[in-house]
Amino acid sequence: MSAGQPPASEQPAIKAKPNNQHLRRNPPIAGEAEAIAAAQSGDPRAFETLYALHKRRVYSLCLRMLSNVAEAEDLTQEAFLQLYRKISTFRGDSAFSTWLHRLAVNVVLMHLRKKGLPQVSLEETLEPSQDDGPRKDIGARDLTLSGSIDRVTLERAVENLPPGYRLVFVLHDVEGYEHNEIAEMLDCSIGNSKSQLHKARMKLRDLLRTGQRKEVA
Amino acid sequence: MNGLPTSLVRETISCEEFQEKLPELFESGRPLDSEEHLKTCKQCAALVSDLQYIAVQAKLLLPLHDPSPAVWEKIEAKLNE
Repeated sequence: MSAGQPPASEQPAIKAKPNNQHLRRNPPIAGEAEAIAAAQSGDPRAFETLYALHKRRVYSLCLRMLSNVAEAEDLTQEAFLQLYRKISTFRGDSAFSTWLHRLAVNVVLMHLRKKGLPQVSLEETLEPSQDDGPRKDIGARDLTLSGSIDRVTLERAVENLPPGYRLVFVLHDVEGYEHNEIAEMLDCSIGNSKSQLHKARMKLRDLLRTGQRKEVA
Repeated sequence: MNGLPTSLVRETISCEEFQEKLPELFESGRPLDSEEHLKTCKQCAALVSDLQYIAVQAKLLLPLHDPSPAVWEKIEAKLNE
């Protein structure tokens, strides 16, 4: 297998912001640096170690994006096969998990495009629509979400987000990546990432409130 | 000036204006309680409360499950081809 220079879209991300490291949910993992170096030298056991360290997060991302176990497992497999082919190009400019997530995100987006699902690309979801604009009527006065949403309900609502929104929401709010990292992963501007996240939260709010109204009715 | 756009330091802005600026207000990381608009607009206050709540609840969604052992077996088989 060849591990040639990847296209620009697959270059490692820029260095993450050093602040707020204590708040991050993707801190450096003990033993990871050694495993990366060994895997880059062709040590298959080291690659297995990297798989063990990151399989859950990569699989979780795939499963949240596809809502289908078989497809998520296939894409997890594909992401790690790509990792194997490209690991020699990892230069450590960004966190390894960010770099690996970028591979996984590309695998997921490619799959969704093949399936012909709508709103897969960020560009498509950035098209303004009436749904995404400021709201004059922002819901019933006496009905707020606070305290009323359990994990299962939120998971279901996230599943119903358009893929472009879902991806940015999962990467930022669930997985804890910064906008600069997401922008690198998705080849978009930081502003686009922020805009997508806001639209995703607004859409989630709509979905959750709709669900609440149905329960009350 | 405190570095914010002019529209953010005016005493009264519309809901539309406030919501246009909401993404950057969230990203600024500073408390939104002091926003003048929120002191008088219950709808926008509810919106901000909900969006903050969603962001907090999202942190509870990790982790999901591991992939089945068959995934690694398939990867290993491919690598050995």
